[in-house]
Amino acid sequence: MIFTKLYAANSWDSVAKTQEKGFFDFEFITWMAWTWQTAAFFVFIACCLIGMTLWEKKKPGGSPRKGILGLDTTRGDRLFLSLLSAAYIHLGWLGLIGPMLWVATILSFIFAIFVFRYV
Amino acid sequence: MNKTVNQKAWLFVIPVFVLVAFNAIIPLMTVVNYAFQETFGNNVFMWEGTRWFKQILLSDRFHAALGRQILFTLIILFIQIPLGIFIALTMPKEGIGVSVCLVLMSMPLLIPWNVVGAMWNIFALPDIGFLGHSLNALGFDYNFTQQSGDAWFTTVLMDVWHWTSLVVLLSYAGLRSIQPAYYQAAEIDGASRWSVFRHIELPKMKKVLTIAILLRFMDSFMIYTEPFVLTGGGPGNATAFLSIDLVKMALGQFDLGPAAAMSLIYFFIVLTVCWVFYNLMMKNEGQS
Repeated sequence: MIFTKLYAANSWDSVAKTQEKGFFDFEFITWMAWTWQTAAFFVFIACCLIGMTLWEKKKPGGSPRKGILGLDTTRGDRLFLSLLSAAYIHLGWLGLIGPMLWVATILSFIFAIFVFRYV
Repeated sequence: MNKTVNQKAWLFVIPVFVLVAFNAIIPLMTVVNYAFQETFGNNVFMWEGTRWFKQILLSDRFHAALGRQILFTLIILFIQIPLGIFIALTMPKEGIGVSVCLVLMSMPLLIPWNVVGAMWNIFALPDIGFLGHSLNALGFDYNFTQQSGDAWFTTVLMDVWHWTSLVVLLSYAGLRSIQPAYYQAAEIDGASRWSVFRHIELPKMKKVLTIAILLRFMDSFMIYTEPFVLTGGGPGNATAFLSIDLVKMALGQFDLGPAAAMSLIYFFIVLTVCWVFYNLMMKNEGQS
């Protein structure tokens, strides 16, 4: 929880208090308002990209094919589509259902597997 | 001949990467961070989770702005694309007229957006503007600063004036690339003007028209400066399109969290449309 402590006030009662300057509090980056949750998200995206690079190194060419949508897709297209649909699944869940957002995350992963297999 | 593998050229990409990092990646990451937090300035942030997303998704204000935005984009696409094709078809094919037309057509495209807004604002003012005064003199009750219908009419007219030329230029380029042999064959077959358009010109213009629709969609979907200068989103909220509403929320009310959530949703919509058009264009490429 190191990021929460340093970059974001934990709760409303700490609003008016002066923030203690922590180890990671560089002046040039505090405005970016990092939290461990969003940092984890971007680390996940970075891992995806690195993973895709390694996959491409191992099996070059991006395994293009014509999927069920009738589109020529490569691995990169499938990752893009999975991430974009994950965003929509999460937004849809938030807007229509609300609680237990982790179900949407699981749905997104299932959908991503589907996209990587068939699209 | 074997190509030598040399990856050093990637080093030349570094400056672009740094530039993109500073003007796109870092701001986008910051927007994501803001979308989950509340702030009152001074770099103090409170974690709010998905609250802003829920709020935006369920807010009538966002629905209304999105509805206005989609309506505006559809209206200008339905006017500009057919009008642009029609003008391109009637433009001269050779002689001095070509240059004259092309220069005249490019003029509106060269004018900065805020100047376009200011020009049309003055042009449409009901008391001193040429358009506004003339319409009122003709008996129309026209006042774009007070009646939302008039504000819409003026905004659409301004956008049509500003951007139809782009569709014209693209369509004209598409038309000029058709070989004369197609027209000769059509003439021998005794094809009507309509069938020439429907079966020769339109299919040949498909690629440029896809690009024209994409460009016009994106530009109109993200329109900000012109309506901001012309109407400022008013009267009331009548012409507050998505980006105008977004800026109102972010800078006017300093609601950075909800504004960030809204911009992310906005971004996803734009990204999806881009993806669809990209695939359409790739399909066109594949066919030819």
